[in-house]
Amino acid sequence: MEADELLVLVAGGDQKAFEALYGLVSGPVFGLVRRVVRDPAQSEEVAQEVLLELWRSAARFDPGRGSALSWILTLAHRRAVDRVRSARAAGEREQREARRAHSTAFDQVTEEVEAGLERELVRRCLDRLTALQRQSVTLAYYDGYTYREVAERLSLPLGTVKTRMRDGLTQLRKCLGGVA
Amino acid sequence: MSLLDRMLGREDLHSLAAPYALDALDPAERVRFERHLKSCPSCAAEVRALSEDAVRLAWSTAAQPPPAMRDRVLAAVRATPQDQGPAREHTPQLPPHVWGTQPPPARSRAPRERRPLFAPLATATAAAALVVASLFAVQANRTQDRLDAERAQSREIAHVLAAPDARASAGRDAQGRSLAVVASASEGQAIVTLSGYGVPPGGRVHQLWLMRPGAQPRSLGLFPTGDTPLVATGLNKSATSLAVTVEPDGGSPQPTSQPIVQLALKSVGFGE
Repeated sequence: MEADELLVLVAGGDQKAFEALYGLVSGPVFGLVRRVVRDPAQSEEVAQEVLLELWRSAARFDPGRGSALSWILTLAHRRAVDRVRSARAAGEREQREARRAHSTAFDQVTEEVEAGLERELVRRCLDRLTALQRQSVTLAYYDGYTYREVAERLSLPLGTVKTRMRDGLTQLRKCLGGVA
Repeated sequence: MSLLDRMLGREDLHSLAAPYALDALDPAERVRFERHLKSCPSCAAEVRALSEDAVRLAWSTAAQPPPAMRDRVLAAVRATPQDQGPAREHTPQLPPHVWGTQPPPARSRAPRERRPLFAPLATATAAAALVVASLFAVQANRTQDRLDAERAQSREIAHVLAAPDARASAGRDAQGRSLAVVASASEGQAIVTLSGYGVPPGGRVHQLWLMRPGAQPRSLGLFPTGDTPLVATGLNKSATSLAVTVEPDGGSPQPTSQPIVQLALKSVGFGE
């Protein structure tokens, strides 16, 4: 069964449907959170909260507004970004060191996982963007920086970063074939 | 783009669609942009398309979660009530970007007596979320030497959560301190979490008591340090509330001080 149908059943309190949904989305949710948050223990915590939030708030999913997977991953991304930003605010330096310490383990894990074709396709399409488009998109999406922080890191005007983000995403859409 | 739009800075707002789709706005800008979206259908459509693009970036990061995570999430699901569906007319343009954990509505109450029962949280969901958040925190904060003990404890916790009549309740005071419980009357078990009270000075401890009508308080044990939950067993169905007191190191056979906090058990199926 597809995530969209499952989510509707979950909204009706169906725990079996939630188990099936967990099987479909826990990998993408956990992987995304981990990519953004990096710290393994914190990633697990955020992913768990996201998955529980799916259970609690399934009734708020509106199929008319997009796919369930998109809704779920958007939620997961938002929560991951919130976490990484509050961790940064709490201690920029400690966080940097923690990320460095964890980066090896993290890379090993992701290499082991089979996200297969999609991973390869996204990587190829990211490679086709200009360097500034790619950096603007990935610093924001994968590292959780605001566009102001991205502008600072890349020493670019704010307007340029916003444009690069938009161009980067639309180029990505063309390259990936626009099929979500 | 009209002159008025320019003067009001709307041009600038519109250009935030891509940063918004990437979650790259700070909270204040996010709020401003979401307000703008409500009055700008073309922006909403653009944001939706850009968000779908951003999600493609998510797919390529999939990774296998630890197997134990599944048990914890499914156990939490069994004990957590669901939110009601939305009032659709109030749903903003893009559900994923705008719904989230709403803070419980602010309550103003008359000053209470000196040792009040905790005010119940606004919803059962909020109570359950509090308990579950602390369970997850335990898992995430594990250190190597505590791993075995916590694994054993998480099995007990999962057992309580899995009971068909497991229910949650919690109270929180104005300072954000809380006492939360997930209990099963049929199993006679409860998981109790005390948060925000810190460590009592002078080597003293927080001790948990079961209060019953016409009977002495019965000790349910001492709270571990931190926000680690206490698993209480052998709870009688006639129990009316839980109470926490500060006691000398090692605990006391009977309370030697007034409770610092109490929580009624009626809403979790006790008190018959």
